[in-house]
Amino acid sequence: MLLNRDNSGKRWHLRPDGVGKVTGQLQYLTDMTLPDMIHGRVLRSSYPYARILSIDITEAEAIEGVFAVLTSKDVPGLNLFGIATPDQPVFCEHVVRYVGDAIAAVAADSPERAALALDAIRVEYEEWTPLDSPEAALAPGAPELHEHGPGNVLHRTEIKRGNVDEGFAACEHIVSETYYTPRQMHAYMETEGGLFVPDESGRLHVYAATQHGYKDRMQLARIIGCSEEDIRVVSSPIGGSFGGKDELNVQPYGALLALRSGHPVKMHNSRKESVRAGLKRHPMKIEMQTGISREGMIQAHRVRITADTGAYATLGAPVLNFCTEHCLGPYSIPNVDVEGVSVYTNNGVSGEFRGFGGNQAIFAMEGQMDRLAEIMDIDPWEFRRRNMREKTDPGPLNQRILVTDGLSQVWEALDRSELWQKHQYPSADLALPPWIKRGVGAAIAMHGAGLGYGIPDPAGGRLSLNAEGKIEVAFSYEEFGQGLIATLEMMLCDLFYCSTSDLSIIIGDTDRVPHSGSSTASRSTTMAWMALQRLQTPFRSKILSVASALSGIPAAELITGIEGVWHKGQLSPEVTANEPAMNSRVVVSYVDLAKHGKEEEWIFDTQFEYPTTPDNVVGGHYLYTYAAVAAEVEVNTLTGEAKLLDTRHVVAAGPVINPMGFIGQIEGGSVMALGFTLTEDAVMQDSRYMTTNLDTYLIPTIRDIHTNLEVEAIEDLPEGDPFGPRGIGEIGSVALAPAITAAIHQATGVWVNRLPVPRDQLIKPIGVLLQEGVSSS
Amino acid sequence: MTEPLGNFWTAVVNGEEKQLHIAQTNRLVDVLRSHLNLTGTKVSCEVGRCGACMILMDGEPVNSCLVMAYQCVGSEITTIEGLYGEEEGKLHPIQQAFVEEGGFQCGYCTPGMVISTKALLDRYPQPSQEQIEMGLCGNLCRCTGYGGILRAVRTAGETCLSSSILTTEEKKVIDL
Ligand code: FES
Ligand code: FES
Repeated sequence: MLLNRDNSGKRWHLRPDGVGKVTGQLQYLTDMTLPDMIHGRVLRSSYPYARILSIDITEAEAIEGVFAVLTSKDVPGLNLFGIATPDQPVFCEHVVRYVGDAIAAVAADSPERAALALDAIRVEYEEWTPLDSPEAALAPGAPELHEHGPGNVLHRTEIKRGNVDEGFAACEHIVSETYYTPRQMHAYMETEGGLFVPDESGRLHVYAATQHGYKDRMQLARIIGCSEEDIRVVSSPIGGSFGGKDELNVQPYGALLALRSGHPVKMHNSRKESVRAGLKRHPMKIEMQTGISREGMIQAHRVRITADTGAYATLGAPVLNFCTEHCLGPYSIPNVDVEGVSVYTNNGVSGEFRGFGGNQAIFAMEGQMDRLAEIMDIDPWEFRRRNMREKTDPGPLNQRILVTDGLSQVWEALDRSELWQKHQYPSADLALPPWIKRGVGAAIAMHGAGLGYGIPDPAGGRLSLNAEGKIEVAFSYEEFGQGLIATLEMMLCDLFYCSTSDLSIIIGDTDRVPHSGSSTASRSTTMAWMALQRLQTPFRSKILSVASALSGIPAAELITGIEGVWHKGQLSPEVTANEPAMNSRVVVSYVDLAKHGKEEEWIFDTQFEYPTTPDNVVGGHYLYTYAAVAAEVEVNTLTGEAKLLDTRHVVAAGPVINPMGFIGQIEGGSVMALGFTLTEDAVMQDSRYMTTNLDTYLIPTIRDIHTNLEVEAIEDLPEGDPFGPRGIGEIGSVALAPAITAAIHQATGVWVNRLPVPRDQLIKPIGVLLQEGVSSS
Repeated sequence: MTEPLGNFWTAVVNGEEKQLHIAQTNRLVDVLRSHLNLTGTKVSCEVGRCGACMILMDGEPVNSCLVMAYQCVGSEITTIEGLYGEEEGKLHPIQQAFVEEGGFQCGYCTPGMVISTKALLDRYPQPSQEQIEMGLCGNLCRCTGYGGILRAVRTAGETCLSSSILTTEEKKVIDL
């Protein structure tokens, strides 16, 4: 179904957080203030790589209005953080490893005074030459950035099957290409920050964005050396994250400063500081060799991935796992030899980012497919079809995956699309000046959801009838813009035929929600749906049995509805929703029900794990979302500018719960991918950022987007599928880049292997025929 | 317009006369957010690129991160909090359109977007695509991909045209 407002009918559901957002009334955590709050700032390293000789804070401490100055000596617990591998110091003691490294933190009665105090801290360094690339870090004799070596390797991956040498020997054609992808910045509009409030009982209340409040709480307790219950983390609403706020950022500093000073401490990073200290997408170099038989069947595939993970681990290892898994694409290949390495450098820290390493892999693999199809002189889409995995084939890691038709469905839907059909007839628009060239390209992807085999991926949730008579759900997921709250409302209304005013939705507060895992890896919608599937039956029977006892009507004749329990024989609650007399038909209201029995009797909990493949392959996924994208691009060969004109995203992710949210996620992901492809790169020179703000780091504006973007959703799932809707948070962003570069190739003959697309490669002197397929292969 | 006034700052903010004792080198965005507690105006890049801090100053859209307190003494400033519908408790048609068309996700860019849209529609009640792009290219949104925002602006244009709410100002003509 083509997704838009008209086609969505009643399912076009207005977001409950909308009014607060459009009026500016909604308080983000960085908007919060308290009368006696003070302001925190962090002193970061002057060098990307250096030994700290001394730190002198006496002058800073003496400044009037300064409440606290902290260094590594003031960390009561573990002076390290990191979701997976805690190797990032809260405060550096002996060595700094990147320009975002923290050395000290201050809190003062005004932001100006805090800045003054930072300036008054004296740090002496012995400057070292930074390892500014994975090559430099892997070179023999390179200094080791971490003790837990070997060398500067964070993580290695491999997939080997068959015999690639024999495979290549039997091939008719082989394409070799090296692909480079940029250090993309999340560029969430709300920079990191929050309010840290100690209370009289000694508890610390942390109001700061994260995608996983419980994980923050655990790490903060470890740093402070307190019990987790001594900390409450409130973590929504969030002004964007895209993976970038999953790690601790300002939290350790705000927390320690608040505890030391006894005052609420406000932290809010400037954009420059956010760029300097924050996570980025892993820049990768992906070398690929792919060989095909005379019939055009892929026989052998050799891949070498080098990822620049920067100074600290964060999720560098899982990102590399994901990239490795996805660099085979949705194709069946008998002989495979993939090796990946994630390397510590003195560059900015790379971590998780929407697509999680899939974007880089899919760009490379789909690039290979287009190059091979051209050699074969067959249609690139047809070439993909021939090589696509069968639906019962194992997944990329040879693991069992859930059988669905998703892949062939998205392939077919895109094949039928008008936009892709244009590919057959490259533009002969005579109205265009000769230096304007147009082309159409397409790409396909299967993208794993959830964290994968072998990584704890707990889920759960709570459903209750609260004391006010509201149906209440509580999850430890976060609202960072994706529309989770709206989706939850819709799921609950679907389940209980109630209205949104019957609901209370609680997220993002460790004091009020059960541990149900993180809002990452496109998992929240699926997890919430699965939790509600488990909870609905006990919850409903409790409601109906109490209602039956109160009304004398057999439970079998009762049904939940708007404002309470209804008699089934009457008009369905949905129909009567608009009738003024509706109230009289409610048999027992939720408010009355809630008065019966103890409060805890109305609470239902569930705990389970995200579904994973039964096969022992670490990181292997079980559920996949499928997507195909076509893009029409116009290239100005005088300026080298490429402009995306038209796109179509086809997504097979099961039933669309929330069409507005679905469209928004695909559109947003698509434009983020447009930036990844054409303009975005956090450039580093000698391990220092050259692009420090949004004036030089260019994310798409409204002038840069494709004015035509269509989203087609394929909603089929196998009958009785127990997993429900699949996540779509990432799928819109993973396959656009190769579609665009394929379109650029059709337009200009240039094979692009580096993102963002280097404009100079697209500039052609007038008069030169633009057909000389320039290929670096 | 700007008399040196020491540390005394005054302006009409959302229709109310405000007086503050602050350094004249304060940025307007901080005056609004920290001193007047009007946190609807957001802050993101602080260099005039993102538009999160957009406000109307004497009817013109400006980045409040680039305006110093002394530069707006005596001005009439409208922030997102100063926008409302014709009837009490109702949203302004632009805000309504953003809600209905899904013109926001995280919402952090939204106040700035709404303000820029107001300025755009004040000037061009029926904006062309080109005019919309020019009017909003100073506002970055990382979440929506602008699709929902474009739809919201078009819808708002239609509803605003039929209501009198936006057309009070004299139309200025600017060549794009
Ligand atoms: S904060 Fe003012 S334009 Fe970005
Ligand atoms: S809605 Fe998040 S930045 Fe626009």
